[in-house]
Amino acid sequence: MHLMQSNDRAAILGYGAYIPFYRLPTTEIARVWKGGGSGPNLEKAVAAMDEDTATMAIEAARMAVKMAGTEELGAIFVGTESKPYAVKPTSTIVAQALGQHYTLAADLEFACKAGTEAMQVITGLVGSGMIGAGLAIGMDTAQGRPGDDLEYTAASGGAAYVIGRKHNKAIALIDCSTSYVSDTGDFWRRAHERYPRHLSRFTGEPAYFFHIENSVKTLFKETGHKPKDFKYAVFHQPNPRFPVEVATRLGFTMDQIKTGLLNPMIGNTYSGSSPIGLAAVLDVAEPGDKILLASFGSGAGSDAFCLEVLDGIKRTRGINPTVKSMMERSTKIDYSTYSKFRDKLHK
Amino acid sequence: MGIQYWRVRDRYYRLIGSKCADCGREYFPPVYRCRACGSERIKDKEMPKEGEIITYTQLHEPLPGFESLAPFYLALVKLANGARILTQIVDSPEGSVKTGAKVRATVRRAKTDGDSGQIIYGFKFLVQS
Amino acid sequence: MSRSKVYIASAGLVPIGDQWGKSIVDLAVEASRGALGKGRRKPDQLIVGNMFSAIGASQEHMGALVASSLGLTGTPAYKVEAACASGGSAFNVGYNLVKSGAIDSALVVGVEKMRDLEPEEVSQALAMAESAEYTQFVGATFAALNGLLARYYMEQENVSRDELSSIPVLDHANAVTAAHAQFRRAITPEVVSRSAMIADPLRLFDCAPVGDGAAAVLLTNDRVVGSKDKLAEVLGGKIATNEFSVYERDDMLDFKSTREAFKGALAQAGVAPKKLSLLEVHDAFSVVGALSLEAMGFSKRGQGSKDAKDGKYSKGSELPINTFGGLKARGHPVGATGMYQIAEAYLQLTDQAGSNQVEGARFAATQNIGGVDTTSAVHVFGRAA
Repeated sequence: MHLMQSNDRAAILGYGAYIPFYRLPTTEIARVWKGGGSGPNLEKAVAAMDEDTATMAIEAARMAVKMAGTEELGAIFVGTESKPYAVKPTSTIVAQALGQHYTLAADLEFACKAGTEAMQVITGLVGSGMIGAGLAIGMDTAQGRPGDDLEYTAASGGAAYVIGRKHNKAIALIDCSTSYVSDTGDFWRRAHERYPRHLSRFTGEPAYFFHIENSVKTLFKETGHKPKDFKYAVFHQPNPRFPVEVATRLGFTMDQIKTGLLNPMIGNTYSGSSPIGLAAVLDVAEPGDKILLASFGSGAGSDAFCLEVLDGIKRTRGINPTVKSMMERSTKIDYSTYSKFRDKLHK
Repeated sequence: MGIQYWRVRDRYYRLIGSKCADCGREYFPPVYRCRACGSERIKDKEMPKEGEIITYTQLHEPLPGFESLAPFYLALVKLANGARILTQIVDSPEGSVKTGAKVRATVRRAKTDGDSGQIIYGFKFLVQS
Repeated sequence: MSRSKVYIASAGLVPIGDQWGKSIVDLAVEASRGALGKGRRKPDQLIVGNMFSAIGASQEHMGALVASSLGLTGTPAYKVEAACASGGSAFNVGYNLVKSGAIDSALVVGVEKMRDLEPEEVSQALAMAESAEYTQFVGATFAALNGLLARYYMEQENVSRDELSSIPVLDHANAVTAAHAQFRRAITPEVVSRSAMIADPLRLFDCAPVGDGAAAVLLTNDRVVGSKDKLAEVLGGKIATNEFSVYERDDMLDFKSTREAFKGALAQAGVAPKKLSLLEVHDAFSVVGALSLEAMGFSKRGQGSKDAKDGKYSKGSELPINTFGGLKARGHPVGATGMYQIAEAYLQLTDQAGSNQVEGARFAATQNIGGVDTTSAVHVFGRAA
């Protein structure tokens, strides 16, 4: 039995996404490094010089808490691979900014999967009765090595989820989840290195596809759910192509994945990737809609969730800016400005 | 550098200012004594995060530590409760920073102590759009 | 008991500029010796006016240091600091000590060493006149605060760019013949409006320059005045303070400190405003000069720069201001500025102002500000009978 399901059901009580203001067209990156062309995505979201994972997490967290109306948070977890400090928690900066002190706080790292892990852990804490509600954040200022292929997609952003016991104002039930992990290195960063390294073709079959297919197929097997049971499916999106391919293999249609597929416009926000995709879906989903969420990180793991939208979703419209409005509130920058913003210029 | 700012982190992250327990006037930065009625019964109060620009400037010659941001906007913002706050205006669409513009607060990296020292976070504002 | 009169008996001024070869103590000693004269009188007290010796020269304990350097060991000495009003404030202390009869004479020297610092370090040092946690922290320099104030002033009172430029233009015209002035070249309004943008709308020529300098005066009473001394009488002096940050004030355009200090100083002196022959105005920024004139009642609200443009304050007018160039052209070595103003008033009232002489000057006032009118020190002087 590989299905994770809490005894007391947990639900999303509030959510908030954050996408920074700046966009770098991939034509700019290609212009500098390849003399022309573009990347697989159109643009990517770039954090400003005075932003980092902590500041963006605070923005998303405030929106999620506002929507949830929760007074107390028993746990605050930030999942990221771009911590402002290698040692010193990001989650307590968020906690202080929310005025929360009686809380379990920690930073999680599992490359792009850390945000959804935070959701699973908080679900467990809620379901066991240890806490009333907690905050799970997936947020990153992904570092792209200059000139590397991943520079096209390495982007900034993420989302926050307040998860608590299901009640009549809850937005979406976290019905169950699965996880599948292995020791597979397709993407890594050694301790004192500035940028991650990655393999190329290996990141496909043995990494992305293998782990997502395992977690999702396990979920299907243990729940009896089929792809057509879901209104929406959100996958981790390292580029525009992989999520479409894995969706097709698993039996999902473009219609099911298009709402949560944001990589073409904002790139890959790493730990924020599937969390922001989920937020985009929640912005338009209706009560009764089932959502499949499957993350992936570092070659080595995937979490798959079955979520069910509840009546409470109806009262959430207009409380926070939508993902769509944040995608639109933007301005384009060039490669030199991006280099300055993301501290790639040596002084 | 860190401790002087650690002490006021709630003021920086949550805009905790002052409220006069006697006449109700609210202030940011905090005060020791009410400027309106002279009372010393001052309590902490979280400020509203929305306001409008009273006046602004664009600074081209920054203080040390702020060079990368230059030129940047500084504005005097009147918050919804009447308190006036001096702040940077960031990430706003071209032409949107002007007298009367509606703005909201956010938290940003305010100062860093080089590459190995601490990061100090603080409030900044941006134009609502 | 009848109080003795208080006089300025002599003054010493160092030319303001990039004094690469002179340290802060070199400057203070040079100005002080000018005031102590060849006979090297021994004052009862030494007071140093200075803002940031600790940052500009890694030096505190300036009072004892200057006293010792002058051979005045044993003389009581200390530093008075009130940001850019340090000079005027130091003078006020000396004046009151002599006036009270506690001492018979005092040497007051204002000094500032700015040029050993890089420009951004100077900005940082000056910014310490404002709140560390709430003004410096958001990255606001004094230029930025005054830029906000200038925009507000121009929008609220309908003041144009050229009108705002009138006081800098006036300053430069007066400084052409001023030996101790930092900039001795006349300018036009176009020069101001084309100069580099510092803090929109303030440009380089709206802002007082950075420079090194020192100015000193010897205060005496009737008992110790020398027979050959050229005297100007100190008639009154008042310091007032305002809410600390300009943005804390309900009416940012009301320079309340200056208004209070001016009223108080003139009342103490028994001199009506219209009797003043000249006025040294603290125009650290063009907008500050305008608002100071309005606070002192010489221009209506919003009219300060406009009146200057119409010639109301030019040389030869009824109330010439900044007779040696003011802060913009004579210079603004911050802690010393107040003392330069006072030394200049002394030169005017003792007919030692050369080509800058205001003919028949009888009464003079100096206005010295710290912060954005956070501290204002105003003094009134009269020709000695």
